[in-house]
Amino acid sequence: MTNALSRRDLMIRLSAVAACALVPPEIAQAAGQLAVGAALGVDWGLAFADRDGDLAPAPMRLLSGACPEGLSGALYRNGPGKFRRPGGSATHWFDGDGLVRAFRVAGGKASLSARFVDTAKRRADTAAGAVVTPGFGTAARPGAKVTNNDDTNAANISMLALRGEKGANGKGGGALWALWEAGSPIGVDPADLSTVGVKTLRPDLAHMPFLAHPRVEPDGEIWSLGVLGDKALVWRLGPDGALISAEVIELPCASYVHDFTATERHLILVLQPLLQEKAALPYIDGFVWKPTQSTRILVLDKADLGDRRIYELPAMFAFHFGDAWADPDGTIHFDACVSDDPTFATRNARQVLNGDWTPLPPPRLALITLTPDRRARIERTDTVAEFPRTDPRHAGWPRAFTVHATKDGGSPLFHGLATHNWKTGASDAFDFGGAHLVEEAVFVPRPGGGGELDGWLLAPSVNLAAKATELHVFDATRVAAGPLASWRAEVALPVSLHGTWVQG
Amino acid sequence: MPKPSLQPRRALKSTIALTLLLSIALGAVTAASAATLTVTFTGLKTLTGSVMMSLSASPEAWDGKAPPTDRRKIPADAAAVTATFADLKPGTYAVRAFHDIDGDGKLNTNPFGMPTEPYAFSNNAHGSMGPASWGDAVFTVTDGDNRQTIDID
Repeated sequence: MTNALSRRDLMIRLSAVAACALVPPEIAQAAGQLAVGAALGVDWGLAFADRDGDLAPAPMRLLSGACPEGLSGALYRNGPGKFRRPGGSATHWFDGDGLVRAFRVAGGKASLSARFVDTAKRRADTAAGAVVTPGFGTAARPGAKVTNNDDTNAANISMLALRGEKGANGKGGGALWALWEAGSPIGVDPADLSTVGVKTLRPDLAHMPFLAHPRVEPDGEIWSLGVLGDKALVWRLGPDGALISAEVIELPCASYVHDFTATERHLILVLQPLLQEKAALPYIDGFVWKPTQSTRILVLDKADLGDRRIYELPAMFAFHFGDAWADPDGTIHFDACVSDDPTFATRNARQVLNGDWTPLPPPRLALITLTPDRRARIERTDTVAEFPRTDPRHAGWPRAFTVHATKDGGSPLFHGLATHNWKTGASDAFDFGGAHLVEEAVFVPRPGGGGELDGWLLAPSVNLAAKATELHVFDATRVAAGPLASWRAEVALPVSLHGTWVQG
Repeated sequence: MPKPSLQPRRALKSTIALTLLLSIALGAVTAASAATLTVTFTGLKTLTGSVMMSLSASPEAWDGKAPPTDRRKIPADAAAVTATFADLKPGTYAVRAFHDIDGDGKLNTNPFGMPTEPYAFSNNAHGSMGPASWGDAVFTVTDGDNRQTIDID
């Protein structure tokens, strides 16, 4: 326990004592509940607790509402789920073992299962009884075996669903990849979430990085990047995950790249001034934040990666971007969840594993515009926003809406979700309050529907009061009205990062 | 090979590849003695190509600044394969090896310079962002029979 956590515990206890001493019992009880609620708003350690094993499929209990007609399929999500071992623990949230979760909705009912990705890292750390394998923010310990990037692959950021009858794993019912960002995709069986194995797309491309945020075109074609220093491999895959091309390009600077975006015609790389200056372990320690340097935005023609343009904006930091689109005159727009600096990644995402949190300005939604005269501008909103998602049927095409997590305060992460309309500036938001840490909301198209936001938003939350993981379904056009249905699992899984929906 | 740059991780990976290649490409110098060393590579998963190994007797040879004591190309036709070195001079040695799966004689690397074929060092030593050090890989050969088992895949 850290001092900060101890202080917080003490304050919670003191406030409870004070309430009992000064007010009548009924009010004390109500005040006590409020105090508990307030305390739970900051008693968020459950979201970063260890999960010690897989979770067999189990029904979730319907708490309220009813499952909307036509909603059927699986929400596959990924996120770090095991951080601590007797001989030494991960020292950064991003270095926990990848835990794949399946929220399945069928026949109006929901279930939850979860299974760790069987990575070389997890096997090595389990055998050592310590997190010996180095990572994004965790140093190597004696006994680490690192012969290539995939020995450090935590497979813990996101899931990619492949299309096709058999899928690239050669199994029926499609295929899933668990994605990290500095190593290969790892195949996962959609049926039982078992690990199929490290995916080598071509023998000479073994162990190359593959970002956890591929851009998938409406027809299923997949673009991703693998970045090392000032070079990037541009991956282009078919809808079934088969390699179409892999081309190495030079970048104007050695920026930390977690995500990128794309229009129908262009790839867009936002190169922020978090620059790699040395090889170091942990990996992030090799990067230096240079706030006086500009953010460079590299635009590449998908049909000719040598055809490039570079734009500049002031220094900013964003993990995530929305799908981009272009106007008829070639002007490009995309949204970003922008912070002033990378302090979350370099400090707070370490502290959370110790139950510690330093208040930090949250990321806010912004729209970046690149005009044909090679000027860039950024329009910042006051809306707190992370984990932006868009309607996958419109990826790369003109659109109005972004789905995102929102509502911060008193704890890491977010308490609500929203859609933002770039045409009107309107935000349609729902706040679960401090007892919920709401995960990324994924848009699910209504079968047979077609209009933007014609469908649902699926968002899990960690209910800190109930100590349970929940799944909420919203009408994507009426978020403020609250969930259409909420289900609760018997257990709380640690908070996850990103997911994908597969229609059932 | 990528050019040397401010990204030492890549440079180091290239160094692994280069050093292995140099060590194995350079000729052998053998010394007469009564010691025998049997090196066994275990854990081969792909039974094609060869295990390419070099035996060094000094930190200089290990770092590619002097010729290795011996080198071998061992057909990778079983999950465990062996090389025997007779008449070795007793002393300290270290082994580096890679599994040349495609039989092209080279340690293949991906576009970022990272080996795509398995490699290993004596004592099953591991480097940190590069080859294992002489100090971690060194072992002693004495008169009579000596054995070293290395897990390579």
